[in-house]
Amino acid sequence: MAVLPTPANRRVWLVLLVGAQLLFIAAVAAAGYATTAYGRTVQLRTAPVNPRDLLERDHLRLTYGITYLPLSLWQEAKEPRRRQPVYVALRAQGNAYAAVRVYEQEPRALPSDQVILRGWVVGSSRRTLRLRYGLERYYAPESQVKALNKKGPHALLVHVSIAPWGQARITEAEVLP
Amino acid sequence: MSRKIIEVEGPKWVEQGIITAEQEQRLLALYPVDDKAIGLLPLLGSLLVLLSALSLIAANWQDLPLLVRFGILLGSVAGSYAAGEYFRRRGNTQLGMGLVGLGLILFGTSIILTSQMFQLIGYDVTGLVAWGVAGVGLTYLYRSRLLFVMTVAIGGIVQGYNTEALGAFSYATAVFTALTLGYYWWRYPDALLGAVLATGLLWQAGLLIGVLHIKITWFFVAAMLIYAFGDWQADRPAGRALQGPPLVAAFLFMLGLAIFGEAGSYTDRLQPPLLAYLVALGAVLVLSLAGKKARGRLSSATDWLLLLPGFYLPAGLPLAVAALVVLYAYTGTLLWRAHQEQNPDRVTLGTVLFILTTAVAYFRLTWGFMNKSLFFLLGGILLLGLSWYLRRRAVQTAAPDASTPNP
Repeated sequence: MAVLPTPANRRVWLVLLVGAQLLFIAAVAAAGYATTAYGRTVQLRTAPVNPRDLLERDHLRLTYGITYLPLSLWQEAKEPRRRQPVYVALRAQGNAYAAVRVYEQEPRALPSDQVILRGWVVGSSRRTLRLRYGLERYYAPESQVKALNKKGPHALLVHVSIAPWGQARITEAEVLP
Repeated sequence: MSRKIIEVEGPKWVEQGIITAEQEQRLLALYPVDDKAIGLLPLLGSLLVLLSALSLIAANWQDLPLLVRFGILLGSVAGSYAAGEYFRRRGNTQLGMGLVGLGLILFGTSIILTSQMFQLIGYDVTGLVAWGVAGVGLTYLYRSRLLFVMTVAIGGIVQGYNTEALGAFSYATAVFTALTLGYYWWRYPDALLGAVLATGLLWQAGLLIGVLHIKITWFFVAAMLIYAFGDWQADRPAGRALQGPPLVAAFLFMLGLAIFGEAGSYTDRLQPPLLAYLVALGAVLVLSLAGKKARGRLSSATDWLLLLPGFYLPAGLPLAVAALVVLYAYTGTLLWRAHQEQNPDRVTLGTVLFILTTAVAYFRLTWGFMNKSLFFLLGGILLLGLSWYLRRRAVQTAAPDASTPNP
């Protein structure tokens, strides 16, 4: 079979295969830069961050204002299911963004002051919908995590960059007074 | 034969005049001392050095400049592959393949750590699919069983993450692993790889059923499709190994129905639309039977008795009894075939399964309306009698081999 590498061209295949892997890792990094460069930045307020145990010294665990949403924002025909991906429309309210509506499918058109952030259903009760965005961990140097933890309970304003293709990343976290 | 046997038994053979002392030495010379153990020390030494470097990096990871972290990731991936290739060329195949395997693990780790460095959220599964693609590529390149097993595991991990964290099933991952690794197994049949591949694919099929929220019995259509490919495989042991996991799954499922079938709390999740289910399963059955016929193994069609859809009966005693009938039909024919083929291994397997089924049947059918001590007494007698009878049959089966004349 021509598909299978023969001893003669093995070396070429190996170089190609390893090279492709290294390029792919570089592409992941590039996706990070591209998300910031082409993305739209929104600010999200977190719930007060409590000092955590020392084991988690390389990241902070965050809960956002948009983690728990009133179920009234869900206006779809079907009940929300656990682990289901959803699309949350956000709009600026003061210095942070707040959720306007939660969609099951990505909406085609939105008012220009709204932006979509993808999330996943963690659970729902009679009144609230609990979501997860993948932004719940903020990786930071140990010294910074320590300094934040020392302040005691405090809220953060997290800057999130959302790329047009849906990818999102935290770009900055500032401590609210 | 290994060197150890000659070392232990050799002096006795010399003493009894079977071989001379000189012949013993010549025999020993045929099996040189394995020098693998000696090569182990430097390996363990370098492992310790590697671990020390690793913990140093891990402790300071977040404080290192971005470019340095990135460089470490790329360097360790490239370094592992290069070192693996180097040792492989020098003839140290096992160490070489181990290092290539390490490179594959580091590739996956690098994808995750790089996403973490840029605070990228787990947005879609592309990054991890690339990990599986790399695994398949390396498997084909090195024709390595280790890499094959690793790639099956990676496929399972990727699919598990995708369904658990992202709430979606990656059909691309499932089709890609099934086609590429399936084709590899087809070209280079191997029993171990067949069993591993079937297990990995069953895992993915199970995840798919969970994501789709459909009746769990659809799982067996996928499982038996895997089974059917085992029928077409020309290499008999490899084909049988691929068929093992689907049969084990079907047997355990039926056993579970026989034990818990009366609960009824989950039986509403068992019954898919009858016509659609039977048509789908029937199509797989035809494919399987055609394979069996083509390879001249039609007698193994009795495996399909396990798939009799007894779960369409109402919950309660009828369901438990139907499950037991299916189990007896299967184990009975398994034993019968084993005796016909005079295959001692399969006689043992059939005996164990038969006794297991009987134990379950006895427990299910009598517990409710019998005094407990009488229950244990009768149960014990029944099992003892059965095992005595089956063992006698087994001895009779094995007898023709044992009665070959002694020299």
